[in-house]
Amino acid sequence: MVKRQTNFAIAGLGITPMGRVYGKTTAGFAREAVQLAVADAGLTMADIDGLLINSPGDLNLQLQRGLGLRNTKLLAEYQSFGSSAGGMIQYAGLAVSAGMADAVACVFADAPLREGVSAGVAYGARRPNLKGFSAIGAAAGYAGANPRYAMAARRHMLTYGTTSEQFGAVAVQQRQWATMNPMAQFRDPITLEDHQSSRWIADPLRLLDCCLVSNGGIAVIVTSAERAKSLRQPPVYALGWGQAHPGLVQERGCRFGEVSGAIESGKRAFAMAGLKPADVDVCQIYDCYTYTVIVSLEDYGFCGKGEGGAFVESGALGPGGSLPTNTGGGELSAYYMWGMTPISEAILQARGTAGERQVAKHDVVLASGNGGILDYHATLLLSPNEPT
Amino acid sequence: MTTNPLAPVLRDDASAAFFDATAEGRLLLRRCTACQHIRGPEVPMCTECLAEDFEWLDAAGTGHVESWIVMHSRAGTDGIVPDPRVIATVELAEGPWMVGALRGVDIHAVAGAMPVRVAFERPEGSEAIPVFRPADAP
Repeated sequence: MVKRQTNFAIAGLGITPMGRVYGKTTAGFAREAVQLAVADAGLTMADIDGLLINSPGDLNLQLQRGLGLRNTKLLAEYQSFGSSAGGMIQYAGLAVSAGMADAVACVFADAPLREGVSAGVAYGARRPNLKGFSAIGAAAGYAGANPRYAMAARRHMLTYGTTSEQFGAVAVQQRQWATMNPMAQFRDPITLEDHQSSRWIADPLRLLDCCLVSNGGIAVIVTSAERAKSLRQPPVYALGWGQAHPGLVQERGCRFGEVSGAIESGKRAFAMAGLKPADVDVCQIYDCYTYTVIVSLEDYGFCGKGEGGAFVESGALGPGGSLPTNTGGGELSAYYMWGMTPISEAILQARGTAGERQVAKHDVVLASGNGGILDYHATLLLSPNEPT
Repeated sequence: MTTNPLAPVLRDDASAAFFDATAEGRLLLRRCTACQHIRGPEVPMCTECLAEDFEWLDAAGTGHVESWIVMHSRAGTDGIVPDPRVIATVELAEGPWMVGALRGVDIHAVAGAMPVRVAFERPEGSEAIPVFRPADAP
């Protein structure tokens, strides 16, 4: 068993306006997010001595100068796609625990949306590489995340009998949460019928199976558990964490689509925290697609393997359900900030400041990050209660 | 005649031998010279023993569907809606998986484990691209 040897906490959270917000660069969103997070923590920029940066776009180390940081003891661009945010917080926590830095800002920002351009066109603007081996699939249209996740989702359906209606159950329940989140981009309730009649993106995935696209930025401030206690916000402690990057090889016996990194990442995080899935009060699962939620919930052990479809169909995820999940609406309905979407909502829930959608019991909050095509995974178990 | 031709594919250094073969209607895989494990044509190191040395092997060209998707297109400027395109992940008889277009099958007739065989299409200005067809198709 891995024993946790360090204690760190999240002391600040900054969320910029989200969605079709124009007139700002990716770096501009990143600066605003860090400034908001620093103010939220009750710190000043001079207190920040570490900066970790993640973005799909054009964010780079110049952000340090952009923020006026001159006392920087830790600085890096970080990339493990959807698992980056969790990873950054973990490394920031290790750095503050080791005395390498005091207060590390971890930031994600992106600004793919352009006025008058559809979200799909804006986000998919990169042309596929039509050279070499990868071009064989790309020539048919197998390029980008949508067809690849569709391929994974179909395999889950074939192996376990998961259905499109079960995917839809995830979308409907998350939208119920989003109706209570003033920051959510989509707040109108949807029905299963709406899901079933939404257009194909890549069959078996429909429009309402897919995350939205957002301009914006989110930053968190990581500091030691001790330091966090003296700051403005109630500390959100890390009880346990983990990563797993399965490196599946696509050949005979491969479990592509059936499993994610959550199996091992979750085991490590729960072992470190001395907890089990039944101890989780609120769940924030990386939801680039509805299917991703189902496979991740199975892999974390919230239900049996292959039973994720039936589990979500029972209404477990929505308001009043047995496992309140993606309580801000998630990437499907609220905003798409890669791993910062689940983490930002996890912080609000752990603090008890999620307003109308606050879950009453929030002692243990799980936040997952998933990147690639289920290739990269990070887990955080967060709590308002200091670990012993 | 299909209304959804494949996009043209160009070779690079790593794929030159592979596309020389597809031009002759042959599908190449890599066989590890150390442990004989067969890997995909694009995989640089043996997935079993991590050795890099390999020899090209002619695949039997048969396999089965492990998963598939259907890409539906919207009408083009000419008002014509292209036929939906099936893209399949195929497990070749030798073991490696390959993703490519699945031709000659109704989108509602595709099924898991469906036997397929390789074929080749050569769009204008392109290398010959491997695609798949139902094994029992004429």
